[in-house]
Amino acid sequence: MEPAEVEFLAEKELVTIVPNFSLDRIHLIGGDLGPFNPGLPVEVPVWLAINLKQRQKCRLIPPEWMDVGKLEEIRDQERKEDTFTPMPSPYYMELTKLLLNYASDNIPRADEIRTLVKDTWDTRMAKLRLSADSFVRQQESHAKLDNLTLMEINTTGTFLTQALDHMYKLRTNLQPGESSHSQDF
Amino acid sequence: MAQAYFPVGPGLGMEENFLSLDDILMSQEKLPGRAESALPRLAVMLGQGAGSAESVPEGSKLEIPLWLAKGLHDSKRRIISVELPKIYKEAWRTVFSADANVVDLHKMGPYYYGFGSQLLNFENPENPEIAQSGSVLPVSDSVCLLQTFIARFRRIMDSSQNAYNEDTSALVARLDELERALFQVGQKGLNDFQCWEKGQASQITASSLVQNYGKRKLTEVDG
Repeated sequence: MEPAEVEFLAEKELVTIVPNFSLDRIHLIGGDLGPFNPGLPVEVPVWLAINLKQRQKCRLIPPEWMDVGKLEEIRDQERKEDTFTPMPSPYYMELTKLLLNYASDNIPRADEIRTLVKDTWDTRMAKLRLSADSFVRQQESHAKLDNLTLMEINTTGTFLTQALDHMYKLRTNLQPGESSHSQDF
Repeated sequence: MAQAYFPVGPGLGMEENFLSLDDILMSQEKLPGRAESALPRLAVMLGQGAGSAESVPEGSKLEIPLWLAKGLHDSKRRIISVELPKIYKEAWRTVFSADANVVDLHKMGPYYYGFGSQLLNFENPENPEIAQSGSVLPVSDSVCLLQTFIARFRRIMDSSQNAYNEDTSALVARLDELERALFQVGQKGLNDFQCWEKGQASQITASSLVQNYGKRKLTEVDG
């Protein structure tokens, strides 16, 4: 899976916008949206919010967690803990990128938020590499990674699964019954 | 193009994949062996005589490719006996156990892991040590394929996921073919993510195939 596909899934998340037009309730295949009234906040998926924003038809209200104080807490918590801490959103990386790219004028202290999220990401990726290494060294066969987000899993996923695949084959090389001799005449 | 091409990967077990090009190349590597019985009219093939009628005498030393050795090897009828190549012997295994990262696996045989796994077919007394499955014998001080892979894993992971936009040829030069493929996968994951972060993922570019197609047409006209 490519990062763009992960982003596609992230665009299904809901955000709040304040439209400047009026529109009746629209019935879409994944649920109904609206009604849209000027000045009244309404929840829409990210893809629609960005589209409306680009057409200058709405103002975006940043999600609750996209706040410098909260993100600093999350970052410090992440550095303290050995395991992965729960993230404010399963798509925190993608939403940060999308919202800051298209609606940075509606988000206060956008550049600080960008730095904080990047720091959190780097901390988590370093942690992921560290835990993958100890996982391999102890020759484990399963692990629980509850709070990893899809983007993080996807960045190292293929590499990890292939490496573990090789390891499994090397480990089971000598066990009897593994090689089936179908050509005994 | 790469997404629409599904090559057969190497088997990396006791049995190789029949259609895997990597495995075919791997099984051409030579093995030291000894003829346990006379092999009539084969001296020409094995480079030990001139006449076509000469036979290979019993007990002569041979260098045979792995595929032939596998075909001739039989636990009951002794046609040939196979020795371990140098790099899978005790002395080298000690070197690996000291520090697996210093060894240049590409020089040691570009298919170190695959070839080593295939050697287990020859029922050597040292098999458990080569594979280090841990279930057959208590772990000796020798190093095996698995321990080597585990010891080198960290370096491959770090170099493949951190070296962005760097020249990776020096990193890759010492890896064997299996590790190289793994390195490429790690690089791809990192590069894809970085491109997405910079916003290049959303730009649609012409396929390299299309660009090359135009060039090729021009050269054909010239030729």
